[in-house]
Amino acid sequence: MTEQSEGKAGDGEQRGSSAESWLFAEARNIRLLLLFIVALAAGIGLLVVFQAHLLAAACQRVIMQGEGLSAVLPLAALLALLAVGRSLCTYLLENRSAAAAARVKLAVRSRLYRKIQALGPAGLAGEEVGPLIETVTRGVDELEPYFTRFLPQAALAAILPAMFLIVVVPAEWRSGLVLLFSAPFIPLFMILIGRGSERLHRRQWSRLARMAGHLLDLVQGLPDLIIFGAAKTEAETVARISEEYRSATMAVLRVAFLSAFTLEFFATVGTAVVAVIVGFRLLAGVLTLQEGLFVLLMAPEFYLPLRNLGLSYHARMQGVAAAERIAPLLAQPLPAGFAGTLMPPSGPPAVLFEAVSFRYGSNRGGVTSVELELPAGYITALAGESGAGKSTLARLLVGLARPESGRILINGQDLTLFQPDAWRAKLAWVPQTPFFTSGSLRENLLLGRPDADDALIAQALEAAAAAFVNDLPDGLDTVLGERGAGLSGGELKRLALARAYLCQATLVVLDEPTAGLDPDNERLVCQALERLAVGRTVLVISHRETTLLHTDHVAEMIDGRIERVVPSAVFLASRGAV
Amino acid sequence: MNWVIRFLKISRNQWPWMSAGIILGVVVVAANAMLMAVSGWFIASMAVSGSSGVAFNYFFPSAGIRFLAIVRSVGRYAERLVTHEATFRNLSEMRVWLFRRFIPLAPACLERYAGGDVAGRLRADVDSLESLYVRIIAPIAVGGLSILSALLFLLWISPSSAAVMFLFLLMAGVALPWVVHYFSEVPGRKAAELSAGLRSKVTEGLQGVEELILLGAVERQAALVDALSENVIAEQGCLGRINGLSLAGSVLCAGCGVAAVLLTGSMQVIAHQTPAPNLVLLLLFSAATFEAAGLLPAALHLLPAARKSAARIFELADAPVPVPDPPVSHVTPSGGRICFTNVSASYLPGEPVLHNVSLTVPEGGRVVLSGTSGVGKSLLLEILLRFRTYEGSVTVGGVEISTISKERLMAMIAVVPQHPHLFNGTIRDNILLGNRSADEAELQQALRDSCLDLWVAGLPLGLDTAVGINGSAVSGGEARRIALARALLKDAAILLLDEPTEGLDGATERRVVSHLAARFGGAHATTLLVVSHRPACLTLGDSIVHLNNSNAPLGDK
Repeated sequence: MTEQSEGKAGDGEQRGSSAESWLFAEARNIRLLLLFIVALAAGIGLLVVFQAHLLAAACQRVIMQGEGLSAVLPLAALLALLAVGRSLCTYLLENRSAAAAARVKLAVRSRLYRKIQALGPAGLAGEEVGPLIETVTRGVDELEPYFTRFLPQAALAAILPAMFLIVVVPAEWRSGLVLLFSAPFIPLFMILIGRGSERLHRRQWSRLARMAGHLLDLVQGLPDLIIFGAAKTEAETVARISEEYRSATMAVLRVAFLSAFTLEFFATVGTAVVAVIVGFRLLAGVLTLQEGLFVLLMAPEFYLPLRNLGLSYHARMQGVAAAERIAPLLAQPLPAGFAGTLMPPSGPPAVLFEAVSFRYGSNRGGVTSVELELPAGYITALAGESGAGKSTLARLLVGLARPESGRILINGQDLTLFQPDAWRAKLAWVPQTPFFTSGSLRENLLLGRPDADDALIAQALEAAAAAFVNDLPDGLDTVLGERGAGLSGGELKRLALARAYLCQATLVVLDEPTAGLDPDNERLVCQALERLAVGRTVLVISHRETTLLHTDHVAEMIDGRIERVVPSAVFLASRGAV
Repeated sequence: MNWVIRFLKISRNQWPWMSAGIILGVVVVAANAMLMAVSGWFIASMAVSGSSGVAFNYFFPSAGIRFLAIVRSVGRYAERLVTHEATFRNLSEMRVWLFRRFIPLAPACLERYAGGDVAGRLRADVDSLESLYVRIIAPIAVGGLSILSALLFLLWISPSSAAVMFLFLLMAGVALPWVVHYFSEVPGRKAAELSAGLRSKVTEGLQGVEELILLGAVERQAALVDALSENVIAEQGCLGRINGLSLAGSVLCAGCGVAAVLLTGSMQVIAHQTPAPNLVLLLLFSAATFEAAGLLPAALHLLPAARKSAARIFELADAPVPVPDPPVSHVTPSGGRICFTNVSASYLPGEPVLHNVSLTVPEGGRVVLSGTSGVGKSLLLEILLRFRTYEGSVTVGGVEISTISKERLMAMIAVVPQHPHLFNGTIRDNILLGNRSADEAELQQALRDSCLDLWVAGLPLGLDTAVGINGSAVSGGEARRIALARALLKDAAILLLDEPTEGLDGATERRVVSHLAARFGGAHATTLLVVSHRPACLTLGDSIVHLNNSNAPLGDK
């Protein structure tokens, strides 16, 4: 099988920079913590300077002044004390950056989840749920390394080299100059590495993900490959694609590692040059060993934060990549909601669609100038091919989307005039795959009406042909798995009907209640539907003829328009299916 | 450690690359430590020479310093290239090995793997096994070897310093990671469990958002998500603190180690057991050696998870082949007559689905198998494909299928399975899988018969349109018709269709059925076995067989 194209690199960079500014904006919320982290970094720097100073002093005493152990002992004790202090600061630094990350993650996840929920029905039309879930869970977690790895390293890299330079120059200005002049090259290479590795990162990770996806695709499709006798040849494809990946990646890496090499080279050669300069100054007798050794010890410390910052680029990229997915979602404007104040009618309402039009942006199904009446207390069916706009019409009716033009009248009054929560309380909606939370059956049934007692529940189960619940060993306390795991599709449909029955709704909208059911289950659901319809206005979407038998009228939709509205018997006769 | 040995055996062709990477790693660590040690010794000697006036040959050490600096930077570059080369070569080897192992196991064994979460789990497990070398084996080998050679070097210069360093390195490299592992086990497990809980709450909430809004329960769900998120982050924070402790511990070990070496080294110098400049050499060498110990904790930390992944994968790879191929097979079935006699079978042991089912489809015959869901219709087809074991007798063309080689049997059968898989490629790729040597006319005919022709003609890219991962870019009905076209293109003696019209609307369903009826009508030689409970499909058969719960097939028309 072939793979699909990769994203445009130019685009990616643009997104990257705005994602980074979003991350900075988030970091502003934890400004105090970050300041504390920077202060700790400076503290660690001071301790490092002291450590070097003590070591140099000890060597001076033993080697040059020939002093005894008693002169070294207090210095060694102080060194150990400094080590304790440094480890304490290190712990605090880690701890505080973890706390900073936790604060950011908690706040971002809460905002993100609520935002997606609010965008949900109208705002995210066309977006798949899977990647969104991934963003809310793993995506938010991936912000962590940015705050725990990259930001502290960036703070250290900004403070420590400058601090070390200040202490080195008075001791030995020539070495200071070496460090100073090699230093500008390092940010330069950091930028080069940053740019290079960013591009590399994007390309390589998308390539790696595609390769991993390729193996998974083949494994999931193994039965099909076996059936069509292609399994053995695909094994060769696996080898070929991995091999191509290796040679392409290595060609890129050979160049990419060069910038890291240059950085290492400057750091190492810088240290070596300092050692040689210091050595000759010592030979000339113009420098004490203490000063010389101190400078030598500071040289690698000077480069270390810069090198570590280079290593933390991976963490930065991970955070930026996550932010690229999160920031645009948070920035999306919320769709305008309803703001009516009218209380909805108490009896079954009569619904009238007046020239209602709605489209989903692109060419996905929509509805155009729909004129349709749902008489109060009757079951109206909506039939038509998939993509004709049936579900869209239902979503407009329950208020999950708003008509772009035209009105929906409830007992003669515009739907937008009603108080949204009160209107929703009058609605029951059963979508194609009804929602079930992993919890007990009772919890699931009570979602729409938390105050119902067991007698009401039993009545609803009876009406919805869902009395099988009583035969379960745990009855209403039976715990459902994710998405209703543990019950069959037909049983779940009937439970959803029971939940709709339990809501004190006067308008019920059912989307394909019998799709995917065998004839026995379909019959049970249809009977439940008739009981549910008593005293309620019902709209049923279905293209199954056996289901249409149980309705009063059929409205047929073709390409987003209502083609005709006829009594069900007439419709079925015209299809030659009775 | 058996699993590591097993891994090494599989990747035995890559040993040269792998060991070269490790050797280079040790060289880099050694060059770095020696660079600092020689530099320190050099300036100390220069200082002694400067103050005492005793001549010192500085040419050698200063050349040595430059040499070590170059070895270190070039060595690091080479090490990176070589370890990556080894990793990618390993990756390639592992993938092919795994895929070949999986072929005879599909589908019966694969669907039981990781509780059915093949897609989610397998990817992470394979990743973890592929990075075993670069993230675990190489760092542990480099760290261990470097520490060992550093200790030997110290032993030569100053045995007492070597003893002290041995203790501190042991603490930093072994004891500390062990303690960290011990303390992070519980929060690690809790964090993983809570994360899974969070994911399922988020999934529920976002998939069911419209219903939750209408049920007035969105805020409740958001509060649940917030609460779970807080718990997850608390556990992750706990892991972060433990990680901080581990870092602080290694800083402490290094600092105290250097202080201790200062004492042991000074004692030796004061006792004139070693030249004075060696003190600086000892100190700087020891400090640099802790860098090698720093490689170990991260690698050891990953070890338990890698072991679990490897165990899952090896267990799967070692699973007995569910339906083995006959050792030698020369039999050739003649014709497409299918005969099930007293067949019993199940998906899982102890949960029988089919019981003493007998059914015959004559060559060129057309049978529709009907019955309620869960009665075992699809299982019957899977038995015919040798995906499941069975009791009783199943013959094709008069030959028991267990004696026919899988390849020969598959050459006779084309299928639209219950859940056809679309590969991440174009529509054309997916259809041509049925018959790679099909010509354009055959392809067009298959498109027409599966009612895809108009849809494809309306697509801007036509047959070259991508279907997406798992067919995510096409609708369920389109996916099924692509699978149908693929099966039709194969033009085999036997065609098995499992709910070929599932997900199609009534009009399209009728069109597909009438095309199929026309294609296989009259005296067509293909044996057709259709599983369906949809009324429209019943017209495809000369006879209809109802399979009911007692598994006694009833024929009628």
